Amino acid sequence: MRVFKKLGWFFKLEKKSYLIGLLMLGLVALMELVPPQVIGRVIDLITTDTLTSNTLILFGVMLIIVAVLTYIFRFFWRIMIFGASNRLGLTLREQLFKKYSSMSPSFFGKRRTGDLMAHATNDINAVQMTAGAGILTIADSVITGGAVLITMALTVSPKLTLIAMIPLPFMVILTSWYGTILSRLFRVAQAAFSSLNDKTQESIAGIKVTKTFGYENEDLKDFADLSDDVVNKNLKVAKVDALFDPTITAIIAISYFLSIFFGARMVIADEITLGQLVTFTTYLGMMVWPLLALGWFFNLIERGKASYERIEDIMNTASDIDDGVTTDRLPSGNITFDIDRFAFPGEDEVSLSDIHFTLKEGETLGIVGHTGSGKSSLIRLLLREFDTADNNTVRVNDIDIKQYDIKKLRHLFGYVPQDNFLFSTSIKNNIAFTDPDINIEAVYRAADLSYIHEDILSFPEGYETVVGERGVSLSGGQKQRISIARALIQDPEILILDDSLSAVDAETETAILKNIEENRSGKTNIITAHRMSAVRNADLILVMENGRIIERGTHESLTQDQGWYYDTFKAQSLRQHLVKDLDETLERGDRNDS
Amino acid sequence: MTADVINLTLKDQLKVLVRLLKYTVPFKGLLILAFSMLVISTVMGVMTPYLVMIFIDNYLTPSIFPEDEIMWLIIAFITVNVIAVLTTYWQIYLLQRLAFKVIQQLRIDAFEKIGKLGMTYFDKVPSGSVVSRLTNDTQAIVDMFTSVLGTFLMAIFMVISSFVMMFILDVKLAFIALIFMPVIVFILLTYRKYSARYFSQARSLLSDMNAKLAESIEGMKIIQVFNQEKRLRKEFAVINEEHYQYNIRTIKLDGLLLRPAIDMIYILSIVVILSYFGFLSFETSVTAGVIFAFIQYMERFFEPINQVSQNLNIFQQALVAASRVFTLLDENRHEPAQAADKNQEITNGCVEFKDVTFSYDGKNNVLKNISFTVPPGTTTALVGHTGSGKSSIINLMMRFYEFEHGSIEIDGHSIKTLPKEEMKKNIGLVLQDPFIFYGTPASNIKLYHSEMTFEQVKRAAEFVSADSFINKLPRGYDEKVVEKGADFSSGERQLLAFARTMATDPKILILDEATANIDSSTEEKIQASLMKMRSGRTTLAIAHRLSTIQDADEILVLNKGEIVERGKHDELVQLKGIYYKMYKLQNSQQ
Repeated sequence: MRVFKKLGWFFKLEKKSYLIGLLMLGLVALMELVPPQVIGRVIDLITTDTLTSNTLILFGVMLIIVAVLTYIFRFFWRIMIFGASNRLGLTLREQLFKKYSSMSPSFFGKRRTGDLMAHATNDINAVQMTAGAGILTIADSVITGGAVLITMALTVSPKLTLIAMIPLPFMVILTSWYGTILSRLFRVAQAAFSSLNDKTQESIAGIKVTKTFGYENEDLKDFADLSDDVVNKNLKVAKVDALFDPTITAIIAISYFLSIFFGARMVIADEITLGQLVTFTTYLGMMVWPLLALGWFFNLIERGKASYERIEDIMNTASDIDDGVTTDRLPSGNITFDIDRFAFPGEDEVSLSDIHFTLKEGETLGIVGHTGSGKSSLIRLLLREFDTADNNTVRVNDIDIKQYDIKKLRHLFGYVPQDNFLFSTSIKNNIAFTDPDINIEAVYRAADLSYIHEDILSFPEGYETVVGERGVSLSGGQKQRISIARALIQDPEILILDDSLSAVDAETETAILKNIEENRSGKTNIITAHRMSAVRNADLILVMENGRIIERGTHESLTQDQGWYYDTFKAQSLRQHLVKDLDETLERGDRNDS
Repeated sequence: MTADVINLTLKDQLKVLVRLLKYTVPFKGLLILAFSMLVISTVMGVMTPYLVMIFIDNYLTPSIFPEDEIMWLIIAFITVNVIAVLTTYWQIYLLQRLAFKVIQQLRIDAFEKIGKLGMTYFDKVPSGSVVSRLTNDTQAIVDMFTSVLGTFLMAIFMVISSFVMMFILDVKLAFIALIFMPVIVFILLTYRKYSARYFSQARSLLSDMNAKLAESIEGMKIIQVFNQEKRLRKEFAVINEEHYQYNIRTIKLDGLLLRPAIDMIYILSIVVILSYFGFLSFETSVTAGVIFAFIQYMERFFEPINQVSQNLNIFQQALVAASRVFTLLDENRHEPAQAADKNQEITNGCVEFKDVTFSYDGKNNVLKNISFTVPPGTTTALVGHTGSGKSSIINLMMRFYEFEHGSIEIDGHSIKTLPKEEMKKNIGLVLQDPFIFYGTPASNIKLYHSEMTFEQVKRAAEFVSADSFINKLPRGYDEKVVEKGADFSSGERQLLAFARTMATDPKILILDEATANIDSSTEEKIQASLMKMRSGRTTLAIAHRLSTIQDADEILVLNKGEIVERGKHDELVQLKGIYYKMYKLQNSQQ
């Protein structure tokens, strides 16, 4: 029942729907009481030969009115109660989406997409069921069950009611016992099904190996065995599941037998009429559903409770980006890193140490180094994906970035991530991500700057071509360039290219960098790269290794220093030359086989 | 995901249903048994009101109770109900059993089909959807058999038996009651028409909404850094709202046409029954028992209809699922067929490509006039850029794809006519991405090889130097391997795949060298193992690192589907062509 209390805010919000819905349910219960009474009365009038056509017509009209009213009431409680529960689903989904969109990367790092999806689908469904079917079942049990029981006792006989009710609790006990066994067996069957699923997945993923060794038949046998296991475990479920209907039939039959046996005696003793006995047995049939609903109700709210707690858990998770805004100034100006040591939350290993440098507004910063040297960690701190401890700061215009409004801070950046994630929508919408209403000329221009315009025009549907599973599959280089266009279109104060040119060839890289240089005068750029050529023209180049800056300077000064940067630059230039030579040869299609 | 929502026409639905029902034919016995149980339980079900009627009319109304006759009535009541309870149980259970047997067969057929399909199929169809055909879709069919066909059959029997009893009780009234039939059929057909539409729309909206949510979760970092949370929230709200509206429409439709409507008709039918007997009672005598029984039968007539109408949507979903499974079963992108000649065998392992031209799509040739010979026991290496055609050569050699032009021969026999078993036994392939199965290192080496002893497994592992890392595992050869061997380094996975291939001791070895980064100590082991594996075996090797094949007997350099250079390492270096340039490039990396 606690789940209802927890959902109190929602019931309060939908007070009207629930009150009207419950009122309708009550009216339906009352209406349902009428036909058995009429049947009993008519039988009595017929057997005593006192029926007149007027009474018959009156009864007929009464039943027709009842039929129509029941129809109307039934229709409306559904709209009211199921409508409200659907609105709960709607609201929760929206809240959850809002929550997700306010969480930091570390939140998503700790949780799998599948789990987060499950909260928004299965869990919300279960809660929605609690607020819909859950309310319905309990109301039905109490209102319908109660009304029928009271009417049986009042209009027929309290004694007979008591006798007829004796077997019914056994129905509740037995069915809920089956329910417990069933849920255990069902879990076992479900586990078997998921191993069948795993097996199938593996077989398809490893199909080449299987075909190579010619083990198709053995693999089939293995699959058939697992499938057999699934069948056997499901049959165990079926064995218990099939008990429900016969049990209900049997118990109702006993109850029925008792009512007729003792009822007949009462008819003979003139305690009740024959018509009343018929009314009574009809009412008896109406008691089955409320009793079953009761068992179902407890099941529903148990699931609803567990699910709602999981949702609450997410909703109560605080974002670890602490929004300690103390300034309403717009961030702009020099960027300063002052970090003695930084470790990602929950990790012991120090990711960055002794990072101290200032990047002047309008300058270009290049960061190079091996994978894992800490290049991206710097970017992540600047983007406030993670926060530094207090004595370590990243500052913009000498104000700790934690003090700015995070929205305003993010507004500064045009970010091109390493994994160049694109959305499964048109290329145009991907590029115009920050402003879907921007004119198409601006989209073309951004695409032009990032050297992807021609590629896009070559696709069958041009800028309307859909990206991803449902559309065209793009090469890594194309994705990178679209990501760059997405960042360039907003002409950001600070452009961040996080290893975003790795999949494009050297010439395209040079061309894109030249475009950036020419079109972004006075604006800041931060470029991390594996290739030294990407940062060659930067105003400040940092060489990183194991989270430290091991060399710093400009291309010229670093060349003079003849350190890691110089060696790598030289080796890469040579290599690039060789690659170009080889590519040209391959393109020409030289043949030397004779 | 929207593509998954298929709307079948009535005719297609019928076809799918018939084909599905054909699957029950092998289980005739079970079907007949379940059916008889159903008949008995239904007949017993309609007996109870009849017995009560006899009791009311013959004994209660006239108030005479001869003890032995009443005793018989009680015994009959108990017997009828006991039989009804037992047969109901067996009927439900047997129908479920039948359903699972059918699904079992369907799954096996589908899986067998998958084994027969060629790589052309797997290239085109995402593996997730193939898995879904075999598991989720077949499961949906189980639901149909148990909750739909079961209810349908029961409903039909209940309706028929109730009507039979009504006719026995009063022919005229039974005829009058029949007028409710077309009304109900009309309601159900109207419901089916609209619900199918709303339902599939609501489903596709749901899948769109979930896709949007999943994508937003995955791309949250981008959304946040570009300050687009608000816009995405709004977009999500729009589709969320649209989905809600469709649900409300479904609720309204259900409310208008399902239980509320059927129940209203039920009450109206009571009006008809009471009026009929009421007016009849003015002329002749009417007994209470008959009225009672008639009303009971009327109720039994309506209840199954309620149940059927609530299961109509499951039925439609299941038919869609079944049609998807059948599409898989009807798939014709089979693996290349063998025109096997049993007398042909592989003796020396001489591989010869004669003027082979091949295209995946029938338009662009990825291999053009490829000819070369690998003499028994020698190594030929294939070198070239991605897309040069190296992998295609191996795909053809392994019969993953069919080719039309030219021929590939082993010891003078075409690979199209060599028996499949002979090929599998003598050719060992090591894939670029060594697939590791769920199980243990031992089971991954042995695979399904029934006669292989543990000693042989160990020897194979030792031969390729995989034993040292396996022995270091807490449970050695019996260590549990997690999904795809994720706990092993890529080098270790390579060694395991080597052992798997060497355990069968093939005459011909096909190697697709891994490109993955491998730590240097494992790399040395891999190189040493490869040398050992190649010695004495005919080897066709794709090399990404030229250093590994410098000792090859012949190196073929491929470019754009053609062999452009061929010879030994030294000769090719002297040629100063593509090979030389690649060689220089790779050396510059170190």
